[in-house]
Amino acid sequence: MATVSFQNIEKSFGHTKVIQGISFDIREGEFMVLVGPSGCGKSTLLRMLAGLEEITAGTIAIDDKVVNDVESKDRDIAMVFQSYALYPHMTVGENMAFSLKLRKADPKMMAERVAKASRILNLDPYLLRFPRELSGGQRQRVAMGRAIVRDPKVFLFDEPLSNLDAKLRVAMRAEIKELHQRLKTTTVYVTHDQVEAMTMADRIVVMNDGRIEQIGAPLDLYDHPDNLFVAQFIGSPAMNVVGGKLKRVNGSAYVEAAGGVRWPIGHGPGSDGQAVSFGIRPEHLTLTAAGGEAVPAEIVVVEPTGAETELLIKAGDDQIVLVTHGRLAVNPGDRIGLTVDPAHVHLFDQGTGARLAA
Amino acid sequence: MKMNTWSKAGTEAKLLLIGIPVLIWTMLPIYHLALFAFSSKDEAMGGRLWPDHPTLHNFEVVFREQHHYLNHFWLQLWNSLFIAVAAGLLTLVVATCAAFAISRLKVRGGRTVMNLALFTYFIPAAFLAVPMYKTMGVYGLLNNQWSLILAMTTIAAPYSIWVLKQASDKLPWELDEAAKMDGASPLQLFRLVYLPLMTPSLVAIGTYALLLAWNEYLYAFLLLSNDRDVTLGVALGNFLAADDSPWELLMTTGLIYALPPAAIYYTFKRYMVGGLTAGAVKS
Repeated sequence: MATVSFQNIEKSFGHTKVIQGISFDIREGEFMVLVGPSGCGKSTLLRMLAGLEEITAGTIAIDDKVVNDVESKDRDIAMVFQSYALYPHMTVGENMAFSLKLRKADPKMMAERVAKASRILNLDPYLLRFPRELSGGQRQRVAMGRAIVRDPKVFLFDEPLSNLDAKLRVAMRAEIKELHQRLKTTTVYVTHDQVEAMTMADRIVVMNDGRIEQIGAPLDLYDHPDNLFVAQFIGSPAMNVVGGKLKRVNGSAYVEAAGGVRWPIGHGPGSDGQAVSFGIRPEHLTLTAAGGEAVPAEIVVVEPTGAETELLIKAGDDQIVLVTHGRLAVNPGDRIGLTVDPAHVHLFDQGTGARLAA
Repeated sequence: MKMNTWSKAGTEAKLLLIGIPVLIWTMLPIYHLALFAFSSKDEAMGGRLWPDHPTLHNFEVVFREQHHYLNHFWLQLWNSLFIAVAAGLLTLVVATCAAFAISRLKVRGGRTVMNLALFTYFIPAAFLAVPMYKTMGVYGLLNNQWSLILAMTTIAAPYSIWVLKQASDKLPWELDEAAKMDGASPLQLFRLVYLPLMTPSLVAIGTYALLLAWNEYLYAFLLLSNDRDVTLGVALGNFLAADDSPWELLMTTGLIYALPPAAIYYTFKRYMVGGLTAGAVKS
């Protein structure tokens, strides 16, 4: 178990600056997920922590010890690669024991560690097999086994599940989380999949363009996104965002969208006439009959998934997604009304994308 | 379906039409080699397709060194073998280290070395024979078998470096990183990860260099002159020094000389095919 600290980290490849001064701390035993679109710098950050990439500026510390000039092998960290990177000419057992062998560990201790790791990961029957004789999920587990055997201070995962099919990915997700709960080793996990981030993380770092957009617990990010980027990146289906002008009339306030549709915001923040982005999550919209206070809309597509129904709706000029539990007797073309719970409305400045504070 | 079968058969027929003449063309000299080797001296030039009384007498003469051209047959065969194996191994060491340094350790100037290696092929080896002779003279290596070993290594190395560099570029980079994280030093990476994975290419290149040295005539002729030092290939050339060359013995020795390369090809055939990296990374 260890803490990890990034201080003003910068990284340039030639003249291109891919990481623009990042600082944050990872607590002892924490499962920290770095998430963001491809090219946001999350993998580079991880590789710098791993010692596979030079640090252009700033410091990285593990347990308060700056490791900028410490070689990978002396940082006491283990990494699981996206492509597994198993040694193809070694058996599963040899793959897992390799790092200990290089450290000239006691053979008895080596055997014990490998046995323990293979028991945890259900790899016992495969110890004598070669990687090419294993399925994708099993290879992934061997890669994890190789990391566990080391008993490192920090585990690094670089998009470990993106090569697996959807079903296996969900299963492995749970396995990794369970593993962390069991070993309680500080973990840094990189993914571009926000669902993975939400389900696994203690805290999430949302990155974009080499900068941190927001750090927080998964549900905090979901409920209180700091800006439009986080709001739209976290959550599936994504948050509905409608651009418009904030209007305050007689104590009530609403956002008037391009097609003249008025979205109520209750006592929300912002000043009259301000250009804002109105955000509402798909599950915070409710379907009602057309007319009255409700926002007028028309159903475009109905997508039942069994447990939930997803509706694609046209309100004014904007396409809106609504998710509701259970099943609905509606058809494309139906004219309906939408009610909005003002408590769940998110308002962002249209220029800066920053959340408007109440 | 039927059309498909017919067009397939047509393609195959066309390939055979080219293949059979090429096969005959290639086999003809070997057929002559064998014909002479199994014929008695009188029958060899008889113009028959196969001798009436095939004999192993020629082999007996060669193996027992019973002709003055063949006084050092076994020694010269050993010379050929020693020089070929030494040149093969030395080339492997040089080329593997160079390829590893350039491809995996990304040493500075690697590109220049690669370009220089390619450049050496603009100059035919025959042009370099005399300069090489001078060089070996300067080092005092003339009439020493190491001169030929070093010369063959020099000729084989650039191509070998090039091929091994290409092959090692194809090894997944993550393996190096994984080994680095596991605590491997560059030497350990080389020994424990790189070499095992490069085995097919190493065998192919080792065989190439070995056979190049085994088959070499010009340099061997130039650099070695003592009858006890020369390779069997040079000794074969000496058969033609007289007007009445013993053709049947020349061909017999030639046939024997051609067998090791054939055996080597056959033995290492399966190594030439890759597939060892299967399962390393998801591609």
